[in-house]
Amino acid sequence: MKKSPNLIFHILFLLLLISPSVFSWKKDEFRNCNQTPFCKRARSRKPGSCNLIATEVSISDDGDLIAKLIPKTQENNESQDAPVEVDSKPLLLTVSVYQDGILRLKIDEEQSLNPPKKRFEVPDVILDEFLSKKLYLQRLSEEKIDNDLGFSSVVYLDGDYEGVLRHDPFEVFVRERGNGKRVLSINSNGLFDFEQLREKKEGDDWEERFRSHTDTRPYGPQSISFDVSFFGADIVSGIPEHATSLALKPTSGPGVDGFSEPYRLFNLDVFEYIDESPFGLYGSIPFMISHGKARGSSGFFWLNAAEMQIDVFGTGWNAGQDKIMMPVDEKRIDTLWMSEAGVVDAFFFVGPGPKDVIRQYTSVTGRPAMPQLFSTAYHQCRWNYRDEEDVFDVDSKFDEHDIPYDVLWLDIDHTDGRRYFTWDKVLFPNPEEMQNKLAAKGRHMVTIVDPHIKRDDNYYIHKEASDNGYYIKDASNRDFDGWCWSGSSSYTDMVNPHIRSWWADKFSYGNYVGSTPSLYVWNDMNEPSVFNGPELTMPRDALHFGGIEHRELHNVYGYYFHMATSNGLVKRGNGKDRPFVLSRAFFPGTQRYGAVWTGDNTAEWEHLRVSVPMLLTLGLTGISFSGADVGGFFGNPEPDLLVRWYQLGAYYPFFRAHAHQDTKRREPWLFGERNTELIREAIHTRYMFLPYFYTLFREANMTGTPVIRPLWMEFPAEEETFSNDEAFMVGNSLLVQGVYTQRAKHVSVYLPGEQSWYDLRSGAAYKGGKRHKFEALEDSVPAFQRAGTIIPRKDRFRRSSTQMGTDPYTLVIALNSSKEAEGELYIDDGKSFEFENGAYIHRHFKFSNGKLTSSNAAPSGAGGNRFSTDCTVERIILLGLSPAPKSALIEPANQKVGVQLGPLTIRHGNSPSFLTIRRPNVRIEDDWTIKIL
Amino acid sequence: MNKKKKIGGLRRLFEISIVIIIGCICAITRSAAAAAAKDDQFLLLLGVSPQDEDYYKGLLSSPSSTIKCKDGSFKFSTSQLNDDFCDCPDASDEPGTSACPNGKFYCKNAGHIPFSLYSSRVNDGICDCCDGSDEYDGKVKCPNTCWEAGKVARERLKTKIATYQQGVTVRNRLVEQAKLAIAKEEAELSKLKNEEKILKGLVEQLQERKEQIEKAEEKERLQKEKEDKERKEAEEANLKEKQNGEQVESSEADALKNDIHDKIGEQVESSEADALKNDIHDKIGLLGDSSSSQDVMDGHGDSESEAQHGEFDVKEESPIGDVKPLQEDSLLHATEKEEQLTVDGQPGLDTGNQAEVEEDNSESLSKEELGRLVASRWTGEKTEQQTEEVSSTKDKNHGTEEEDAYGEEYSSYDSEEDDHRYDNDDGDNEDQMDDFGGEDHDDSSPSYKSETDDEPDLPAEPSWLEKIQKSVRRIFQAVTFFQTPVDKSEAARVRKEYDESSAKLSKLQSRISSLKQKLKHDFGPEKEFYSFYGQCFENKQNKYVYKICPFKQASQVEGHSTTRLGSWEKFEDSYKVMQFLNGDKCWNGPDRSLKVKLRCGLNNEVTDVDEPSRCEYMALVSTPALCVEEKLKELQDKLDMMNKEQPTSHDEL
Repeated sequence: MKKSPNLIFHILFLLLLISPSVFSWKKDEFRNCNQTPFCKRARSRKPGSCNLIATEVSISDDGDLIAKLIPKTQENNESQDAPVEVDSKPLLLTVSVYQDGILRLKIDEEQSLNPPKKRFEVPDVILDEFLSKKLYLQRLSEEKIDNDLGFSSVVYLDGDYEGVLRHDPFEVFVRERGNGKRVLSINSNGLFDFEQLREKKEGDDWEERFRSHTDTRPYGPQSISFDVSFFGADIVSGIPEHATSLALKPTSGPGVDGFSEPYRLFNLDVFEYIDESPFGLYGSIPFMISHGKARGSSGFFWLNAAEMQIDVFGTGWNAGQDKIMMPVDEKRIDTLWMSEAGVVDAFFFVGPGPKDVIRQYTSVTGRPAMPQLFSTAYHQCRWNYRDEEDVFDVDSKFDEHDIPYDVLWLDIDHTDGRRYFTWDKVLFPNPEEMQNKLAAKGRHMVTIVDPHIKRDDNYYIHKEASDNGYYIKDASNRDFDGWCWSGSSSYTDMVNPHIRSWWADKFSYGNYVGSTPSLYVWNDMNEPSVFNGPELTMPRDALHFGGIEHRELHNVYGYYFHMATSNGLVKRGNGKDRPFVLSRAFFPGTQRYGAVWTGDNTAEWEHLRVSVPMLLTLGLTGISFSGADVGGFFGNPEPDLLVRWYQLGAYYPFFRAHAHQDTKRREPWLFGERNTELIREAIHTRYMFLPYFYTLFREANMTGTPVIRPLWMEFPAEEETFSNDEAFMVGNSLLVQGVYTQRAKHVSVYLPGEQSWYDLRSGAAYKGGKRHKFEALEDSVPAFQRAGTIIPRKDRFRRSSTQMGTDPYTLVIALNSSKEAEGELYIDDGKSFEFENGAYIHRHFKFSNGKLTSSNAAPSGAGGNRFSTDCTVERIILLGLSPAPKSALIEPANQKVGVQLGPLTIRHGNSPSFLTIRRPNVRIEDDWTIKIL
Repeated sequence: MNKKKKIGGLRRLFEISIVIIIGCICAITRSAAAAAAKDDQFLLLLGVSPQDEDYYKGLLSSPSSTIKCKDGSFKFSTSQLNDDFCDCPDASDEPGTSACPNGKFYCKNAGHIPFSLYSSRVNDGICDCCDGSDEYDGKVKCPNTCWEAGKVARERLKTKIATYQQGVTVRNRLVEQAKLAIAKEEAELSKLKNEEKILKGLVEQLQERKEQIEKAEEKERLQKEKEDKERKEAEEANLKEKQNGEQVESSEADALKNDIHDKIGEQVESSEADALKNDIHDKIGLLGDSSSSQDVMDGHGDSESEAQHGEFDVKEESPIGDVKPLQEDSLLHATEKEEQLTVDGQPGLDTGNQAEVEEDNSESLSKEELGRLVASRWTGEKTEQQTEEVSSTKDKNHGTEEEDAYGEEYSSYDSEEDDHRYDNDDGDNEDQMDDFGGEDHDDSSPSYKSETDDEPDLPAEPSWLEKIQKSVRRIFQAVTFFQTPVDKSEAARVRKEYDESSAKLSKLQSRISSLKQKLKHDFGPEKEFYSFYGQCFENKQNKYVYKICPFKQASQVEGHSTTRLGSWEKFEDSYKVMQFLNGDKCWNGPDRSLKVKLRCGLNNEVTDVDEPSRCEYMALVSTPALCVEEKLKELQDKLDMMNKEQPTSHDEL
């Protein structure tokens, strides 16, 4: 009996090995730059190796500056490492100018020379409205810059800027008019390279192999790369999605350790992604924003949907290179942009402020959609709420514990065998009744609809899609067949507008059986995720409508899917109901179609921490409505972490708790009374600030300015804020600092600016412009209202935001040193598009000279419709006013009301020590003044 | 049709509410004012519970009177009571509005049960109180449904009381029976312990005698061997030239075999056999968790239950010739299995290795295999499943039928083992391996069932012990000393007597240990759970059969595969919950566990099983053991109260 123990030991040993941590990010499964030929090539190129010069520079009939890029004739051809391509044809360069200081640069092969294929340009991202803002160039001036032999062509930009095309060597930049200071440039380091399409020759091996996958690459190499320089920049940020810091760390140059891979933009479904990595995640936005104390902000956007890799160079990266054409004294950040395919379609945004850059960027790609009010409240999700009973149980427990929530989510297992648009007949026999039951309490539901369609002939979606040829094809032109949740699956070709329209129709109440008006949608896996594909996604040689290769549009696929779904919900409600669709993949323009979240994060403190820079970055790149899974998707958060996550998540623009099916249940009431209380408090905080959040969503909708912002967006001249991504601003009035360590005793918070900050909990004032050390309180993360602001709140809590509609407001006025403050409030019906026709209320509050004035902030003649409400103001709290007045006078009613001491938030019953105007009961939509007597 | 109506109704409701929002002016204050004019007293005390009426009395005398908030923090006047503005942090000034977030609103619900709502429910457009009193601002009209709802509730309560009434009787009987049974068993135990002591002494004597005899025999044998050898050597010397080497070899081999045979024979017969057995038991104990080792313990020394365990039979009865090949075989077997574990992907256990396997193998996988493998990261469907899928897809077309993760997991487990059996035409060994792997938990139930009915195995009359004593005495009287050569029949008699006695002793000890084991358990404050011992409650849910055996273990059975949900831990929550812990490991999750909530019911039955969190199960069991008299009184009081508080008229609002 000797070997039985052996076996036993073996089994025990294997048992020991079973632990979740064994599963983690599978680095080998994804390509790094060295395994990606175009990236490797571009990275190894030396500064100044571009030998293109601009010729035939002129103004076209369309009012653009056009030129041809040709290789410079090689008089001194000593550099053997850059052999000149004999068959290199001239490239066509186009510079267009738009209102608000936007320069657009396009470089493509010249179609008149009949390249083997038309290179892909991403449709449906740039707004028609933007195109109509083009300025027709009349003339260009020529000048000599520095000691150039050749000329440079200069065009006028809107505002105080000029666009410059330097001919030899070729370079395009934007500069300030007058002083000639550069803002933003391309090819200043001479790294530009454009692989032109050519016919395959005998002996050409264009195939690329990675692990077990082979990419046939029938069109051969076609990559593009170039350098972009941001002048006067202390930091660059943007290019989501990466789980890393807000200010992008250098990836190349001296002193780069750990971050030696470029930032990758390639939409991928990464299992258990890690924080602090330049690795590409679910979405891609090739838009970078710079910021510096000296000048402010500028932005660069490359509209290109192929795989992209971006290097940020550390200072001194090009030391010893003599071919650089830049002034050496400039403080700047150089970057290298590399893409596998497509064309150069680049936008230069001059700023000069951070908000200006985002306004300029979102004027091209669109402003964030106005969300429904309910979707800005709290969402409860889990993979999976198993059946109707489970749903009702969770729903009623929220009521039992007096915790509000607005939306309950159903993940993949609510369907009949992961056939989306269907219901599991056993688990969800009466979906309509279920939704209606929740809707009766003003609550909504969300179901998941993913792009992988189960290949089952009895499944109507598959039947229609395969019969009509709506699927993406593989390289041999058969319906692509990949593996995902539903097993063997195909993917509808959302690039085709006709197919998008077909898809949108699937959401009608008639087609989506079991759906009701209170049901909204979640798009997951739309990178697209293909479990058995290369890097867990679709092969690059798969074919789309019009013969477009998947490689050319990979990053935009999820966007079209999101768009089609969102359009479906608009259609469903006859254009009257704002859609709500959450997407995991994203691309420039996603902000027009709905919210995104940061995918499958993990219940770890570091993931809590990294959620802030990730969401701030999304906001900087137009996607304001974003969140991270509260609690962490994978793993079981310890109660401390879960509570801190709720406390921080309450300030995420999109506030949803979610968990993997293998995790323990973690609904708010499962961690003991105290933790339930703390989580309830955190969720209540969100509900209290809903009017403020909704106002911020409207601001984003109007200007692109994100709901949550880096500190430097509000305090652009304070260097101390540039690298701070642990704290953030909610609008311009609130500063929130997360707590990112277990059982933290103290939190250090930098409060920027010259004005004071009022602690949201205690009401105590703290000086700005310095770092404070606070005791870490169990019951909230540090949050402050900035002096000089007025925040509208609703302090009454209901089951969901729906019941808060007629509840009265509380205004909190935090006075600055000159006893003044300002704020805004936006209200509409919370769900329809009527606000676009003027059916909204926009108030401006101003306190000065001891008098609060509410005035209309809506532009006159903003559409003919009106929105009205009976809501009143029940309480006005004044912070920073002394001495204490006894009463106040309301005009025009000429009515006196009492001023007394009251608590800052009535929930906490903290000592009543703040001046409170009691029951002014003025209507929120009216003009009025309240004078402190 | 129905659906459309509902949607329409909902829309209408929504339209109405919009109209109201737009149309009505400051509903709260206005209606409050209007109502105040109508009925001051009513409005002032809106939402106040009867216990609190005294507290507010002081405010009703005059409009200018003031009282302190309950927490003493602040003073408020009559005009501030229910004026829709929160003055007291503890909400005492706003019992009837939603102004204070921590407040409670009391609805009388005449005809039903009075109820205190969170103040956040007041005038929120949703009817919460069955008397409709929480919605008074005119936004919605709430019909009074208390009478109907109360009727239903009363009926339900009556039924419950009836169950309790019967249940209490049953329970009392159970408690009586349990007390008697336990007393009986305790008596038996002490008796058995006495007998054990005596028998042990006898067995020791016999053993001593037996050893003496054996020593003598051994001596004889050696002597004989020596003589044989001398004789043989002589013969060999004579026949040396005639004989070939082969014969020598074969006879030597025979001798060697005989030798070993004898030695092992001795071991088996001697107490070393027990030691070996114990050793094996220990190892099994190590391998399994408490429950499986307990099963083994229960079986230990009990020849009845041992007989049900194949491996023990082999060990105890196998002559030497069988033992050796068995060892070789299973050694080989284990190696094979190990290889499979690492190469094929660790049947059922190793997910840790999966990563490696993936890295190693994913390149060679088919597309579908790869897809499943990657999907399994999120789902936790185990690798062996993939492996199974892989092998099955290689051979045949695998159905794409979706199955529950568990279903797949365990069916693949089965098929894997089936395959295994086919591969190795050695059923016995396979079974043995299974037992060692601690997987085949079904096996444990017969052995533990035997506990309840193993009593008759021991001779009932007390004379058996005397008989043995007598016969042993006879032996010692007859053979006071022994000489060489040993008297064969005498030796046989001693051996037989020894064998019989020690068999009886071990049977006795087993009974003692199982009684001890049983009586050690916590059967509840009144021993009301005594009857649970040795019982299993079953419940079928779809394809699973859940088997809950209190004081033992709980399992989920699907076809031939069994998943252990946990072994008995303890009662919790003052005997309202049974906790089973440390069940089979979950992928990427905790060990499985089961909580059984107990309810009063007339029979012991499992009414529901659920898995609210992955691998954390929850079952409902109804049992008369929970039908407590105090609770019955409570329910009756509640019914009396409900009957009292019937409304005077049905259309109060």
